[in-house]
Amino acid sequence: MDAVERANAERQKRWVKDQKIGEGTYAVVYRGREASTSKKVAIKKIKVGQFKDGLDMSAVREVKYLRELHHQNIIELMDVFSSKTNLNLVLEFLDSDLEIIIKDRTLVFLPADIKSWMAMTFHGLEFCHRNFILHRDLKPNNLLIAFNGQLKLADFGLARDFADPGYKMTCQVITRWYRPPELLFGCRYYGTGVDIWSVGCIFAELMLRTPYLPGESDMDQLKTVFRALGTPTEEDWPGHTKLPDYVPVGQFPRTPLRDLFTAASGDALSLLSRCLTYEPRRRVSAREALHHPYFTSLPYPTHPSKLPKPVSAQSRPLEEVDGNVQLSASGPGVKAAPPNRLKRKLSSPIDGLRPLARKLDFGQAL
Amino acid sequence: MPVTYTGNEVDCCLGRIAKEDGQETAGDEEEGVVDGEVVMERRAGRDGDGMEGMSTRGLHGGGGQGQENKLVQINCDPRQHRSSRMTPAYEASTQFNNWRFSPERLVLVRDALNSAAVAAIKSAFDADEPGSSADVSFLDAQEEHLLVKLYITKIPQLCGHFRFPEEVEATAITYLKRFYLRNTVMDWHPKNVMLTALFLATKTTNNPISLESYTSNIPRTSTSDVLDLEFLVAQSLNFEFAVWHSHRALWGLWLDLQSLSDVTEDQRSRDVYETALKHVRDSRFTDAELIYVPSQIALVALSLASPFLAQKWLDSKSSGVGESCSETLQSVVVAINDLIVHTGHPPDVEAVREVDRRLKLCKNPEKVVGSNAYLVRKAEEERKAEAKRNKKAQDIRRAEEDDDPFGNALNEGQPRQQMELDDDDD
Amino acid sequence: MSRPSNAGGWLKGTTVRKGGTAVTNSHSTRPNTPQVQSTSLTAFSGVKDTSGRTTEYFSMDDQCPVCKSDRYLNPKLRLLVSACYHKMCESCIDRLFTLGPAPCPICQKILRKLAFTPQTFEDLTVEKEVKVRRRIAKDFNKRREDFPDLRSYNDYLEEVEDITFNLINDLDVAETEARIERYRKENSTLIELNVRREEQYVQALKDQEEQDRLEREHRALEARKEEELEREEKEKDRREIIDRLETSTKDAVKVIAKSRAEANKRSSARTAATALAKSSAQLLRSRAAQSTTVPDVPHVPLQDDWYTYEDMYTLRDNYDDIYSEAVREDREGIMRAGGYRVQEAWDRAVRSAVTALFLPPLSGVSQSDITSGAPQSILTST
Repeated sequence: MDAVERANAERQKRWVKDQKIGEGTYAVVYRGREASTSKKVAIKKIKVGQFKDGLDMSAVREVKYLRELHHQNIIELMDVFSSKTNLNLVLEFLDSDLEIIIKDRTLVFLPADIKSWMAMTFHGLEFCHRNFILHRDLKPNNLLIAFNGQLKLADFGLARDFADPGYKMTCQVITRWYRPPELLFGCRYYGTGVDIWSVGCIFAELMLRTPYLPGESDMDQLKTVFRALGTPTEEDWPGHTKLPDYVPVGQFPRTPLRDLFTAASGDALSLLSRCLTYEPRRRVSAREALHHPYFTSLPYPTHPSKLPKPVSAQSRPLEEVDGNVQLSASGPGVKAAPPNRLKRKLSSPIDGLRPLARKLDFGQAL
Repeated sequence: MPVTYTGNEVDCCLGRIAKEDGQETAGDEEEGVVDGEVVMERRAGRDGDGMEGMSTRGLHGGGGQGQENKLVQINCDPRQHRSSRMTPAYEASTQFNNWRFSPERLVLVRDALNSAAVAAIKSAFDADEPGSSADVSFLDAQEEHLLVKLYITKIPQLCGHFRFPEEVEATAITYLKRFYLRNTVMDWHPKNVMLTALFLATKTTNNPISLESYTSNIPRTSTSDVLDLEFLVAQSLNFEFAVWHSHRALWGLWLDLQSLSDVTEDQRSRDVYETALKHVRDSRFTDAELIYVPSQIALVALSLASPFLAQKWLDSKSSGVGESCSETLQSVVVAINDLIVHTGHPPDVEAVREVDRRLKLCKNPEKVVGSNAYLVRKAEEERKAEAKRNKKAQDIRRAEEDDDPFGNALNEGQPRQQMELDDDDD
Repeated sequence: MSRPSNAGGWLKGTTVRKGGTAVTNSHSTRPNTPQVQSTSLTAFSGVKDTSGRTTEYFSMDDQCPVCKSDRYLNPKLRLLVSACYHKMCESCIDRLFTLGPAPCPICQKILRKLAFTPQTFEDLTVEKEVKVRRRIAKDFNKRREDFPDLRSYNDYLEEVEDITFNLINDLDVAETEARIERYRKENSTLIELNVRREEQYVQALKDQEEQDRLEREHRALEARKEEELEREEKEKDRREIIDRLETSTKDAVKVIAKSRAEANKRSSARTAATALAKSSAQLLRSRAAQSTTVPDVPHVPLQDDWYTYEDMYTLRDNYDDIYSEAVREDREGIMRAGGYRVQEAWDRAVRSAVTALFLPPLSGVSQSDITSGAPQSILTST
């Protein structure tokens, strides 16, 4: 066996794949664990060899950047190994994402909660930008939430280095609702502002609990943006009419953000408007944002461990736990779920009887 | 400079040993960290801020990777006293952690690879036809290296042809060098590896072109020449694609010269820059990037073009830096200078041709399509795959037949998992 | 049962309540229907319902098998169950066992007075099964998460079931007891741990209930205040209208309409405020379950401790730079409009020029290289 293969086999042995938990466009995600410690991980298996141009660009980007970025607000790539012609990324296991939390109507957000999520998002993004990396696909479901409440930027499949002067970039990045107007106008030279716009949209979504700028098509997206924020003038955004795909989409008046965000603090609206500024170079930078008064004024951002979490995500680890005794140390709260879920799924009458005795709960009130 | 020099040296050594232990026990992070902690403790103890030193480990925002390695560097950073709790960003990079060697170690790695390969190929020959390995003249590590070096020279030519940016060129060369720190030319001939490394570099640097148009522009090359090797190359690189380059450092250095008040515009003539850039390109033939930091290589390239500018700039950066660090850098500059001057050029083509001719006779037969050894190996792989498929089928059958009342619960969890695991081979 | 004294062992510390206050109220019209009755005494070890109370079984057909006294003659008759699952009335128990352990009049097994318990189920085999299970559950309290995989957990459940079955049906009693004892010895730590976990859980439930109760009270108080306020406001409005009608020269209809509008405005503001209060109450509830001991901390703009060499250079606003001429000219203004900032590329380049500038190279080889000589070992660390 080659040295390379041998080293790979060593790595592969460290990890155990368990259940399939999701399927993405170019990858299958498994729940797994480290063989020696039973520590939970997510294993993203990327199939290669099915593309005529070889290794998929998304996979290349994701691996390239996650290999280098180590920060508590960025998902940790713990290992990479290959199995036959599959590439396996071992990622830290994260329970939930911001989209699930926003959509969960049983959760109530305090202003301090939103501040906490925004601070963590900006911390992660600032670190990317400090390392000269654009994320280019920020949206609530790419902001994953760890068991301890920490928010982590994930999915670097569209990320890239800042371009050197004069090199073009593609404008077909960022999910439409979070895509800034310069990209909608087909701009090929852009910068960190694209990510900031996305964060602004996420900020608004956290306050509204519904997507802020949900355009139905790329064209409709521009209209939706302008309807919400007013059509930009040459003064608002010098040169935008010269952008490659510029088209006039109608004149909409500017309405104050206050009209829609009635409950937001002045500081919050000030930061939001700095994120959703038309002229990309006048948009706030991630680092400036972290120094914005919104974050330093009261209330303090909620401690991550106390942030609202979907109930399902809270009980899920119990069901998924496999030989992980540590998990039960997370307190009696999780025990409220039946101790033995796998069993309950069964319809077999024989099996159905067995947990019955446990259901009577003899031990409890002795 | 609050940290004394003698202490630094000791710590550097300790740190490095800790690192290497950590690598040796690959997969056992705990141990590496423990080693690191010991080092940290010693350092912290002497610095008199032990508590602070210890507590930063826990607070570290950047997570665990390469933590032990950070300790190697910490004392030699000139700004260390200003930011004692900070870890230099370079030390998070895979380049720092996994692709940085001592010169002695490079020799060792190449020799070990070479002798392992020779042993393996010898036994493959003998298995095919006993005694046949006796009169084969195998390549030695230097000869292998010579061949790789020749193929390094092809990359700039191809990049010129395709008009790829400098970034692609430099990255492809790095990949090629790194590949042959884990493989030998007797297993994988550098021609196709070079083409693959270049193609991979276009993707990792975000300059992708279609494989079709890539190979159609290279004579006698098909898409499969690249596709077949791409995964192997990526795997050999440990899927670590990001590379810090000295040409960017040189650009930055050149820009930063404009911050020096006593350097005139005439002194910064474009010729000087072009000459320095040429030296950076020459450095790509050498092992410099596997031993030194891009900023150091850029500095040497500039000093080769204009010692005056290099010294001016270095002086501006060295104010407030301890003498020890300056001296270290001075010796680094001399060493890189040596490397570029003596090995920073293409190899003698005639010598390489001879090596390549001999390579044809000592290639690993298991990797030569159509050879006996190749067929034997393939058959063995096929047999294993077949056994795996059978086992899988059996598992499923057993699961279906199982009428143990409690077996169902297990079926739900385990055999299905197994089936999901096994779809690796499709 | 070969070890009678052990049979009541798990009941240690509980007392059976003497005397029957039980049936005084039950003059049922259908005397043959079994009835259940609740007592609020938790000292009983009978099976408890969710509120923690014991439901004691009794029937109009009850008769003491020992003294043959029945409910018809003695409405206060109370039958208790022995450790050998035979019923007898309280007066028989007093008579037979007050002087110390004595044989059961039915099966001769030695019994103690304290080891009689109230009957919960009509069928005594159920009674027995429940007791056996309760006893077993006390020691066999492992959880799913105490096992490395589903199979071993199932094996464990299987064993518990086995033991339970043996005890219920008096099979291999001695051997089974030995098994239990062995298990108890082997797992004492874990058993103890799980008992504590359970206690914590119960405590958490209690806390949660208490929290809910406080909150309900709080809400009720709010609602009362709210009503009071509304009433006061209405009163005030009424008085205001009268005042205005007295002093104003305007049309009475208009005055009233205006006052009404104002009152409506206030009332809708109040509704909104109430909605807010409600949602925050809901929030409080959802937060109650969490630990509140972790304090929120002030925001720190940059929390990580990566050093990015920023003190080693000062970026200029502009550079004379061949690479970015096109960008800096940008005649169309499209790079500016798109947000491309050449300063970011410059920053990257200049930082790269000073990055790790003073880093000493590695030197030498470590012991491990020489001994193993395995080239892959140098690269396998992550």
